[in-house]
Formats: sequence, structure tokens, C-alpha cells
Amino acid sequence: MKVTINWLRRYVDISWTPEELRERLTMLGVEVESMRKLGGEFEGVVVAQVLTADKHPNADKLSVCRVNDGKTERQIVCGAKNFKPGDKVPLALPGCTMPTPPGTPPFTIKVGKLRGVESQGMMCSAQELGLSEDASGLLILPTDAIVGQSLAQHLGRVSGDVVYDLEITPNRPDLNSVIGIARELSALSGNPLKLPAVPERFEPAEAPSIATVAGQVAVRLEDPELCPRYTARMVRGVKVGPSPDWLKQDLEKVGIRSISNVVDVTNYVMLEIGQPLHAFDYHLLAVAPEAKTPVIVVRRAQEGEKFTTLDGKERSLTHDMLVIADETKPVALAGVMGGLNSEIKDTTQDVLIESACFKPQTIRLASKKLELRSDASYRYERGSDIDICDWASRRAAQLILETAGGQVASGVVDAYPKRHEPKQITLRYARTNQLLGLEIAPAQQREYLNRLELPLDGTPGESSFSVRIPAFRVDLKGEIDLVEEIARLYGVDRIPSRVPCAQPGTNPFDAVYDQIAEARRLLTGSGLMEIQGQTLLPQTAVAHLPSQLVPLQNPLSGDMNVLRPSLLPGLLEVLQRNVNQKQTDLALFEMGRVFTATGNAPREERRLGIALTGQRNPLFWSGGERDAKFDIHDLKGLLEEFFAHFGLRGLTFVRRPEPAGLYLESANISLGKQSLGEIGLANPMLAKKLDLRDSVVLAELNLDLLLARRNPAKSFKPLPQYPAIRRDVAMLVEETVTHEAVLNAVKQAKPSHLETVELFDVFRGKNIPSGQKSLAYAFTYRSLDKTLTDAEASAAHEKVVRQFKEQLKAVLREG
Amino acid sequence: MSTFVESIGPLKDEALAAIVAAADLSQLEQARAAFLGSHGKFVAIMKQMGTLPKEEKPLAGKAINQGKAEIEAALAQRKSDLELKAALPKEPLDFTLPGRRRTLGKNHPLTQATDDIVKIFRKLGFVVADGPEIEDEYHCFDALNTPADHPARDTQDTFYTQSANGAGNNQRLLLRTHTSSVQIRVMKSQPPPVRVIVPGRVYRRDNADATHNPTFQQIEGLYVDKNVTVGDLKGTVAFVFRELLGEEVKLRFRPHYFSYTEPSFEIDFSSALVRKMGKDWLEIAGCGMVHPKVFENVGYDPEVWTGWAFGFGIERIAMIRYGINDIRLFYENDARFLAQF
Repeated sequence: MKVTINWLRRYVDISWTPEELRERLTMLGVEVESMRKLGGEFEGVVVAQVLTADKHPNADKLSVCRVNDGKTERQIVCGAKNFKPGDKVPLALPGCTMPTPPGTPPFTIKVGKLRGVESQGMMCSAQELGLSEDASGLLILPTDAIVGQSLAQHLGRVSGDVVYDLEITPNRPDLNSVIGIARELSALSGNPLKLPAVPERFEPAEAPSIATVAGQVAVRLEDPELCPRYTARMVRGVKVGPSPDWLKQDLEKVGIRSISNVVDVTNYVMLEIGQPLHAFDYHLLAVAPEAKTPVIVVRRAQEGEKFTTLDGKERSLTHDMLVIADETKPVALAGVMGGLNSEIKDTTQDVLIESACFKPQTIRLASKKLELRSDASYRYERGSDIDICDWASRRAAQLILETAGGQVASGVVDAYPKRHEPKQITLRYARTNQLLGLEIAPAQQREYLNRLELPLDGTPGESSFSVRIPAFRVDLKGEIDLVEEIARLYGVDRIPSRVPCAQPGTNPFDAVYDQIAEARRLLTGSGLMEIQGQTLLPQTAVAHLPSQLVPLQNPLSGDMNVLRPSLLPGLLEVLQRNVNQKQTDLALFEMGRVFTATGNAPREERRLGIALTGQRNPLFWSGGERDAKFDIHDLKGLLEEFFAHFGLRGLTFVRRPEPAGLYLESANISLGKQSLGEIGLANPMLAKKLDLRDSVVLAELNLDLLLARRNPAKSFKPLPQYPAIRRDVAMLVEETVTHEAVLNAVKQAKPSHLETVELFDVFRGKNIPSGQKSLAYAFTYRSLDKTLTDAEASAAHEKVVRQFKEQLKAVLREG
Repeated sequence: MSTFVESIGPLKDEALAAIVAAADLSQLEQARAAFLGSHGKFVAIMKQMGTLPKEEKPLAGKAINQGKAEIEAALAQRKSDLELKAALPKEPLDFTLPGRRRTLGKNHPLTQATDDIVKIFRKLGFVVADGPEIEDEYHCFDALNTPADHPARDTQDTFYTQSANGAGNNQRLLLRTHTSSVQIRVMKSQPPPVRVIVPGRVYRRDNADATHNPTFQQIEGLYVDKNVTVGDLKGTVAFVFRELLGEEVKLRFRPHYFSYTEPSFEIDFSSALVRKMGKDWLEIAGCGMVHPKVFENVGYDPEVWTGWAFGFGIERIAMIRYGINDIRLFYENDARFLAQF
């Protein structure tokens, strides 16, 4: 909401500078989003009084004067002769820009020396101010001119102003008004709030011709729950026309277009007190047959009822919306916008002023359904002040009289079936102090609330007191809310800080957080870069994944309409984006949640996804390995190293006969019977679609399971005391014999003293029959309690070799 | 026979000179053989020792032993000098050549920021807690005292999933709009006192632009104990942000409104960086004293326990720290971007 400092000043004295006011408002909880200074006429020119005038020491035609500008004394060098000490004159202060003829550069007053004597401003002639052609001497102002006042104010011209754009929190609808803000400033400064004097009743001059409102219109509330109060007041014989300048300017400064005097008044009063008003043309209300006067009916709209709002759009209403109607048709969409059919026109003579209160939810719903927002709906949605309806109506009548003439019909029709009973809240002094960590004296606490117009209810007690809550403070619901009011007025910045002494908290996730961090450390140490992808993906990106998707009910777009069921599509997307940017060598991982629909609620699972593509090593200028590209063994090795360091043992990799989803070839990674994830080569057709030139290897693991199955316990094993003996085996086997099959054969041979088995060569090609491969293994034998003899090692090794021949049909290669 | 003893010195000198003159290991070997080999000159004199009269032997023996030791020492010294010389590369090394590097990965900048924040809170005894990203309305709104018709619940602002809630109630499922939902889960799962922080992803139905992404990350702190005051909140927040953004950071607390805290504040900070951006203050976090209604909802007695909560966006912290001007960069994961942090 926008307010201006001059408008605020009508209700409360403000001694702060515009900048200070911005600070005060912000620290009260009314955040100033922006502050804009509006220049007025004669900006920087004030009424000043000449105190002394002496001859200039170096110039006969100049004089040196002492001048009071209302704040301080200044020395001014002046060339005019037509004044004497005591005269009041316009003084342009340094920084002030003087009007100049078109085409000439602007002329700004500065502190400078004239013939060796400093001059701190310029006393002006009427011509210099652009007021007249009279350049004969200074403009001598009347003796009653107020020293220090701006010249604009003195002359009754437009003066400068400051517009504040405020962010009003939704709990404080009362601050959507100038008086609401002024009330806060009054509470903060202690300066009284000055409300405009509004007549309690209007006495028509010609009583017979202007009957009471009640005789001319009736109000019927069909659903008092949705409209708890409706007042109607009437001004007859108005002359609709342009608003006076002050009204136009006030509205325009806060961004409201001036329409006509009557409409402008309703807007002005809404801005002033926060109560939305609506003005109808009385004669456009239909009168029911056999009735003398029209009836205003506040009722629910019929389902599908058509209504054309002021903006010229025809709208289709629903039964949960509220309309203001006569006996035949709706004339306004309650609390949102008036109708075209009852609009105030230039010809309107008799105006009906509506000042009502509607249920916030009803207005919000209508506004949302129709996508129609207005200043009125904005205020009603947040909750309006049911107690202010009549005051606002009288205020509007007063201002219509002032700006459009006419006569106010006496009385009011006030349909207000269930009076608002002010709430009462009790505050314990100790509660305030307990929460704020302060000692605020009881009297001071009462004083703060009193300044906010929360009057005492009964006599304050020893340890607590009660206040009545006016209807405009919809946010005050309990004791705690009063504590906040005291905190605001006391000043949050004055509450001393205290650093809590450390005391351990507890939460089972805390250790998990560290384990995830540890996993991340191992992966980055292995050369992987962490990414963080989008959780929301297009359904098309996950179409080929065998997964039960969790779609969004209300996605922003088709690009983000499902929750990711896997980290891999996101990783592939990041590969694509980088490769497009000529970043072709990528080793990435992501840790994050994926979502799958299950019979019951959707399931969340933390996963680890890895993708490698491009060159394995950073660029180097020599060596055969320099052009090597990432392959599946890089990823396998990376995972093996990761598992070993992370405390996971006994993982198995089982090739999938029919790889699915993104993979060309893949293996299932398991730990015992639990499947941990999958590793494989990305389907090249898919990679090609993503413009990925090099092959891509992928893995995705269930991180939750990984963490749960982790056994990071470490224990010391004594270092070997005796030497080891190595035996190598090179053998030909069928292609179908896997490394795991070899290890199983070793296990079954049960050789004693075997320490390690290491594969050191796999060879196909020259001298190897097709369909076979050569495998070479190194066996290390060692005893922990003696030096192993050659014969002992050979005996153990023989068992292994025999097992290979029998179980794997291996043919040993010599030398 | 004084000439015998006198001949030892010159012979030794001759041997030492030959050793020094040897230019490589093979010449050195020749020199060694020439003097100390089985037919070497020095060995020859040693053999003559036997022919000396008995009274001359001690003096001659001493001189020979000394001479031999000197020659052997010179040989060893020369040998190691020549070996070192042989080990020298033919061309001098160019130490300015780029080395053969092994890539080290990096944590994502948002992870780095989260970790730093977590570390600071842990100094104060906080532990990390966690909760689901798909939430129900109860934990995300109801229990946090959010009015039933609050606009935050609108489908305009909050993502709802199509999946049914299997828990048997009629709660709609949504993507949590703040990590505050975890406050409720933590308090329901344990008695006070509580000191937790909750980092995590949250979701709002905003179109992506330089300052919005439908997915973003928050961190939430919750502190419940006896006699917790606004002063504690201010002190903790000040500690955290000074550690995070530097000692010179200035903070201010502005009264604000959140449904689950009362009083509520927004926190602005000011620093050289903020002033460089042409601003006096930059909003950085929201906070407040836990609303008594929230305590009632989780079964804590608000007369006994008081507490505060505060939360802020992790992207915002990272953007401020690193001068990043577009939130989307975090989720685009350009390798050149990631490599900078």
C-alpha cells in the first residue's frame, strides 16, 4: 500500500525526516519497500527573514546579509536594494535548482564566494522564481509569512511530498489505511492521533424535500453470515464532475486514477480508513411492482447468473458468491466490483453510499474464481473493520457534500443484526518478560497497549491486566499477540541478545547426515563433481523408466509435471547441457530423493547416481593413456573403492540378461538378498538423442540402504611377520567363465595359507582360440606364524590348479 | 730403507690424482684396479712389507694402512659423485610444465553452504533432523497454525501430488513449502528440550526466473527449552550470521508475521557486500518465538516451554557469499560453474 508523508501528517504530528520515518515504519513491522520523493514547486526555497544588511567590503553594489531561514542563520551576499532588516523574503538554499528559460541549462544554487565573501544561498526576486516579470528587487513577502515554511506552502502551491510503498503483512488489514498507519506512528511517538471531525448526523436544510434514507431505500440481508453489516446512506442533488485538485493529487500520488468527485471520495475514504465503499446511482435501482422504494438485497448469486462488472466484462457467477442486488438484478459483486448497470455517471444526481462488511472467505473465493482483484476485494479478503462502516459512510457523505454539493438525507439504513462484541484479552506481565527476556514494568506494558487504542478492561490486577480488542485488530487473538505489540513498541532492537550455552540436542538423523557427507567426501575424492538437479521433471524424460510415477496435480507446465523416479534422467540432462557447451569430459554424481507411487502413500528414497563420459584423465602432454575414455571398468573400480572405504563388503554384480530403461548392458548390484542398485552402459541410441558423442556409463544406488548396511567398524590385525610366496597361473578358459566363477573355484579348493588372489591379465586374440580367453592370476601364500616352505606353498597351489582344470575346464599356459 | 716408507706417500698421491681424474664409472674402475687391484701398484707395495726388517714394519704398516684407507675413501666419494652425475637427466627439467593431474571433485555450492551452516549450528549443540519432502497438509499447514483458508494452501502457490494419501485420513498430499513441517515431526517424536536444524528441499509454485526456482532449499532451526527468550533468538541468529558472513555483518530484526511464530521477525543484514549492491539492508531470514498454538498441537505445554524457530534460503546465502546473480545456475550444473566453488 502507498501512503504519503503529507497525508499521514493530517492525523499525527511527525517530526522525523522522511528517512527516519522509513526506518521507524520498518522497525514497527511495516516494511517500506520503496520511498520516492516528489518534487513540488519552488523545491528548496523557504521563507527567510533578513536580520542585518551591511555593505560588501569589496563591492559597492553588493551587500552582505545575515538571514534566518527558520533553522539557522546564513550569510547571503545580495545585489538588490529594495529590502531592509526585518523583511521576509524567499531564500533559495544551496542545492536548490532555479527555474530557467527553456533551452538554457539548469542553474543550481551553491555555497560560493562573491567578491571574496561567502554566500550561503540566494535571496530571490519574483522573476527569478518565475512568478512574474518583476526583476526590480527581491520579492518582499507579507509580514505574517512564517519563517522556515516552504515557499510553496506559503503561496499555497503544490509542495513536495514523499510516497512510501509499504508491505502490509496479511494479519494486519487495519494497516491498509492511512489512519491505520498514523495510529501506529501515534503509538510509537506518543503524539495523539487526530481523526477528522465527521458529523454524527446531517441535518438537511430543506427538511420536507429530503426525507430520511429509511423512507427511500430498504436493505435486506439474506445471508447475514456472509454479510454481517450493511449500511446505506444517501446524498441527493449532487453534481458529478471533476474532483478538486487536492483530492486528485492525493489519489494520484498513491497511484489511484481520478475518475469523478463522487467516485474519488469513495476511494479517498477507503484509503483513509481502510473501509471499501461503493456508490450507486439511486435511480438505477429497480423498484418492485407495488413497492414505493427500492430494496437493496444482499444475497448469494444464483448458479450461472450473469453479471457485467464495471470493467465491462460479463461474468458468470456461482452460488458461493455474494451480490448486491435490487429486486430484479444484481448491481454489484459484493466486496469486489460494482456493476456497469448502476455506475455513477455525469448525470447522476442521487447517490447511494454502501459501507458494508463481508465475510473475508466469500470475497476471496469470488475474487479468485473470477480472477478479479480490486482495492476493495484486497481489503475485504483480509478482514475489514465492522465497527467503522458507519463512520466511513458519514465521512464519505461529508466529502461528497464538500466536493459535489447536494444534501445528505438524514439518518442511515444500518442492517447490523448481530453487533460485534469486542474481545477481551488478559496479559500477564510476567509472560511478556518471560518471552522477551526483559523486565518491562506493568505500567509501561499497559501504556504501550493503551497507545495502540487497546483500552483497559476493568481494573488492572497485581500480575495481569485485560484490554478490549477493537474490531479493526483482527490479528489480536491471544495473550501472545499482545506480547508482540509490546515488543514492537519497546523496540526489537533494544532487546539484548544472549548466546545460548551449548547443550547437545538429539536426533537420529544427525549421524546419517554425517554419513552422507562422508560418502560425498569419498566420491569427490574419487574425482566426481557433485550436481543438484531438479526434483520436478517432464514426464517424457522418465517415460522409459520402469517406475510408478508420482505426478503433480497442478504442475506449472509439462516441463515439470512429475517427481523424479530416478536421478539418472537429471544426470543425463546435465551431461547433455555440458556437452552442448563443449564440456565433454564429465564425471558427475548426485545424491537426492526420488519418488515412486506405491499402493499407499508415495515412497521417498535417497539415492546416489553417477554418470561418466568423455576422457578419463585431464589433458596431459605425453603418455599412451592420455586419450583414454571412461568405460564401465572405471565406474566399477570407482564403486569398489567407494564401497571398501565406506564400509560395505560382499557386494555382488550380476549381469542382467535383458537390461531395461536407460541401459544397453547392465548389472544388478546386491548385498546378500537386497538389491542396492544398478550399473551399466547407457543405451547409445538414447545418448545419441541427447547429443552425447562419447559413451556414457551410469550407476544408481539406493543410498538409504547403503547407509543402513554399512559396517564401518575397524579393528587392528597384526602386520605379517613372515615372508610370502607368490605363484602365478595363466590359463585358457571359455568366454562364459567369469572372474567370479574363478574366485568360487579358488574358494572350493580351500588352499591353506592363501592370502590374496589378484587378476593381472585378461587376453584375447593372438594364439587364443576364439570363444576363449586367457586369464592370469597372482596367488600370494603366507603363514602368520612361521616361514612358509616352498613345498607347502606348492601343495596349496596345486589344489587350486587342479580345481581350475576340473571345474573350469581350464588349460594351463606354460611360461 | 727409509726410501720404502718415503715411496708410500707419492704412490698414494698418484692414486688419489687418478681417482679425481676418472671422468666416469669405468675410468674409476680402471683407476681402482691400477692401484688396489690384485696387480695394482699399491697392492704391490703392500706385498713388499714382508721383506722389511722387523724394526721398520710398524712405521711402514701404519703408513700403508693410512694410505689405503685414504684411497678407498676417495674411491667411494668419487663413485657416489659419478653415480649422481650419471643419474642426472640429459636435459634440465622444465618445472613450469603442467603436471599430470588427478581430478578431484567438488561438492555442489549449495552443499557447501549447507555444510557450513550446519557446522555453525553444531557449535551451539544443534543436531541435524530430517523429514519427508512429500508432506500432508497437517504437518505443512494445520499444525503450524496456518488458517484453513490461508492463500499459501492454494493450488496457485503449492504443488499437490496426484497420489492418494494411504494414511487413511483425508489430508491432501503436497510438496512441502517449507522445512518448518519437520518442526512438527521432531516435536511429536520427542519430549523437549529440542535443538535441531533441518536442511532440505522445499517447493513453491513459482515460475523459474533469476530469483525463483520451483525447487529450492531451506534450513530451519528450532530451539525449545525452559526460559528461552527473544534475546536468545537474537543472540543465536547474530552468532550464526557472523560466523557465516563475517564479523562485520550487521543485523536487524523487523517485526513481521508468520502464523507459527509470535512475535515474528524478519532479519535483514548489512555488510560491505550489501552496500556494494546499492542497498542498506538485505532480507535474509524469518524467525520468531514458537506460537503457543503450535506447542499445543504437538503436546508441549506452552506455559512451561518456550522456544524459537528460524529459517532461511540456502540459495540466498550462497548467492550472497559468491556473488551469484541467478538462482537457476545452481540447478543447471554447468561444469564451469561448479568448478568455481
